[in-house]
Amino acid sequence: MKFEGWYDSNYKKLLLIPGILLALCIIYLSLFNIQNDSLFNKDISLTGGTTYTLLTEKPLEDLNNFLSSQSLNFESKALQNNLGEQTALKITVGPEEGDALKIVLEEFLGEKLTEDNSSVEKTTTSLSEEFYNQLIIAILLAFFWMAGVVFLIFYKGAKIKTVVVVLNILLGFFLGNLFFKTSVIIYSVGFVLLAGALVAIYIKNSLPSFAVMLSAFADIVMTLAVVNLLGMRISTAGIIAFLMLIGYSVDTDILLTTRVTKKRNVNVNKELKGSFKTGTTMTLTSLVAVLVAFILVKNYETILNEIFTILIIGLLFDLFNTWITNASLIKWYAESKK
Amino acid sequence: MKLGFRVWLWLSIVVLSIIIIFGIPPKFFSGGVIISAIDSDSKLYEEGIRQDMELLQVNNFIINSVEDYVSAINSLSTESSRVDILTDDGEFIGLYSLNDFNSLVIKKVPMTRLKTGLDLQGGIRVLVGSTNESLNFEQITDLIGVSEERLNVYGLTDVNFFTIRQINGDYLMGVEIAGSTPEDVEELVASQGEFEAKIGEEVVFIGGERDITHIGKSGADAMIQECGELEDGTQTCRFVFVISLSGAAAQRHADITSSLSVNHTPQGSYLEQPIDFYVDGKIIESLNIGADLKGNPATRIQISGSGEGASTKEAIANSKDEMKKLQAILSTGSIPYQLEIKKVDRVSPTLGEGFVKQILLAGLLAIIAVSIIIFVRYRKLKISALLIFVSLSEVIIILGMAGLIGWNLNLPAIAGIIAAIGTGIDSQIIILDESRIKDESLKEQIKKALFIIGTAFATSFVALIPLTGVLSFMNITAAGAGLLRGFAITTIIGLLVGILITRPAFAEIIKRLK
Repeated sequence: MKFEGWYDSNYKKLLLIPGILLALCIIYLSLFNIQNDSLFNKDISLTGGTTYTLLTEKPLEDLNNFLSSQSLNFESKALQNNLGEQTALKITVGPEEGDALKIVLEEFLGEKLTEDNSSVEKTTTSLSEEFYNQLIIAILLAFFWMAGVVFLIFYKGAKIKTVVVVLNILLGFFLGNLFFKTSVIIYSVGFVLLAGALVAIYIKNSLPSFAVMLSAFADIVMTLAVVNLLGMRISTAGIIAFLMLIGYSVDTDILLTTRVTKKRNVNVNKELKGSFKTGTTMTLTSLVAVLVAFILVKNYETILNEIFTILIIGLLFDLFNTWITNASLIKWYAESKK
Repeated sequence: MKLGFRVWLWLSIVVLSIIIIFGIPPKFFSGGVIISAIDSDSKLYEEGIRQDMELLQVNNFIINSVEDYVSAINSLSTESSRVDILTDDGEFIGLYSLNDFNSLVIKKVPMTRLKTGLDLQGGIRVLVGSTNESLNFEQITDLIGVSEERLNVYGLTDVNFFTIRQINGDYLMGVEIAGSTPEDVEELVASQGEFEAKIGEEVVFIGGERDITHIGKSGADAMIQECGELEDGTQTCRFVFVISLSGAAAQRHADITSSLSVNHTPQGSYLEQPIDFYVDGKIIESLNIGADLKGNPATRIQISGSGEGASTKEAIANSKDEMKKLQAILSTGSIPYQLEIKKVDRVSPTLGEGFVKQILLAGLLAIIAVSIIIFVRYRKLKISALLIFVSLSEVIIILGMAGLIGWNLNLPAIAGIIAAIGTGIDSQIIILDESRIKDESLKEQIKKALFIIGTAFATSFVALIPLTGVLSFMNITAAGAGLLRGFAITTIIGLLVGILITRPAFAEIIKRLK
């Protein structure tokens, strides 16, 4: 029981680790946002631009040389099948150069681009901005509503519950009608007020609900920071990964919260241990399943790659945030109630 | 072991889903080929052969595979001769040559009744809006009507229109065409399509039903007239088709031409000014008017144009495409606002080949990997096997539901299935572990497990709501996300199936195993 003794005297200090890490990630993301005017590297579905996928065996080098001589600003990549043979070449240019690229690629291939030899994805800048704004709104709302539901389930007290429901609905109308539409200052202040009120209610009335919310938030922020550090580009499909991450992250947190808070005279360490066993099995199975699937579909270079990569990073952080951040908070809460 | 009501319910829904997916009798027993595409100006199309028909026999030669079809077709002569074609929709007998069958694309009868999305089977998706105006819902509905008519010219059947609402309240039109599609079809959809036939500055007739009563689409009324080579070696082919003008338009033709004088040239006698055809303000063809048409209320007018290509074959194909585009524009008239393609995704049908199989393999291996972890943890073969079986049954039920509501399975939808299965496995682990806590009664254990699962379900459910589009009253429309609706829908189906059907059944089996 050496570990238990150590844990009992140090679990509050343990919170420093995620605290510092989270602060660092938030600082990094803020700087990133200032520098790039976006929270992450967007792919062309969110910036506007054109991507061609050519079904050709011509080597990538030839293509790069050819395109460089045409003074195009491009990114290119070779796709392979599971045997390591090249199946296609993928070329991306900005929104202005789509038509020029088509002509140049036809010259490179020596034939017209048709549906038999190529795929194309093209988005205008105006629409991609719209997509970006909507995705941010969808993620924010998903996150707050998830937290709201946790609060409604774990807190008893009709009055405050009503307030939380009303605030969350207001938040929905606010995001839909004002967010990104008025000036940055107005909607930021409005958002901080609404979100702040909700968070304050959670902290004051139901610390476990806040803990669930905090670890989901930490999962998202830390994952996003790593995604940016890796230089990955995120498309509209990226939202899927973050929503899945919220879902998986909340599963283990709710398990932990229920085990520790829903019984009287509970032995906190025993319940933590039991939850840890169940929860890590849950996260590990998800992680292994995603990893296996990722390896098998990786070469096809579809949106599944993006989704799986974000999930793998996110699930690793979820292990960390559930069993260090959330567990410490819950233990603190349970011990203080004794 | 006696099975309880919940287990029976679960098993019957699995069986039902399998029936929905594979049909009765299962399609994979029957073999056979279907027509996946057919040119709408082909002889076979004229005779009534359409996309999605199942091809059973050609000249009494039974066709069970694409190879059978190829050998049956190769036995035909290049000259027209009598051919008997038997389909599931009846028998077609006519005089056809080997060439006529080039207009058909044949594929194997799909094994399941499930439909895959564009990103898996290939096709095109276009989002169209106005360049400078904001379009409301009614305008977009009108636009869809016009576009439907234009695409009809191509004889495409697998076309799906939808609307997308943007944050600022403007609407976009979305078009999805699955499978093989005509080239540059996106330009046709986004074209304002203002057709004008002018003599000098005077408009004789415009596109649309008011002036044009009939458009020739086949036989001598629409054809490739001649091909030739340009100076730079490019091949070019000329198409012509006949249209009928309304009385008023014909009279306008008579009035305008009556004041023109006649030029006599060695090639023939023509009016002093030609008739020019404009599409969206650009001149596409200028034709001399025969002297005999002067002052004549002509109701039959020949429209022509051309297409180019590196080879004659390519030039013919492009010329045909141009002809169809022009016919489409003439039949619908113009749209009163300028259109712009906001987004286009065209996926080559060959790109998706093999990918579906790889995804199935990935799914299967992922479930096996999970069950190995479960076996290591619980050391019980029965439980690992049960877990695999329950997870697979969830996949089957989700696919069955997708088949039932005719949902297209695209990549986001597949991600949704993965999300649902992952949550399902999580829930089963919770049930297993709760049922092993010693100081509680079994009833209490299951109750607590289902509480945790229920809470987890509720949180995931609300997190998905913004993507479904039901929040448009809050102005949360998720247009970008609209393309991700497949993810939200399949995940919600999966979560519901889990909480209503499979989880209660799994809990009951665990109870009975004790």
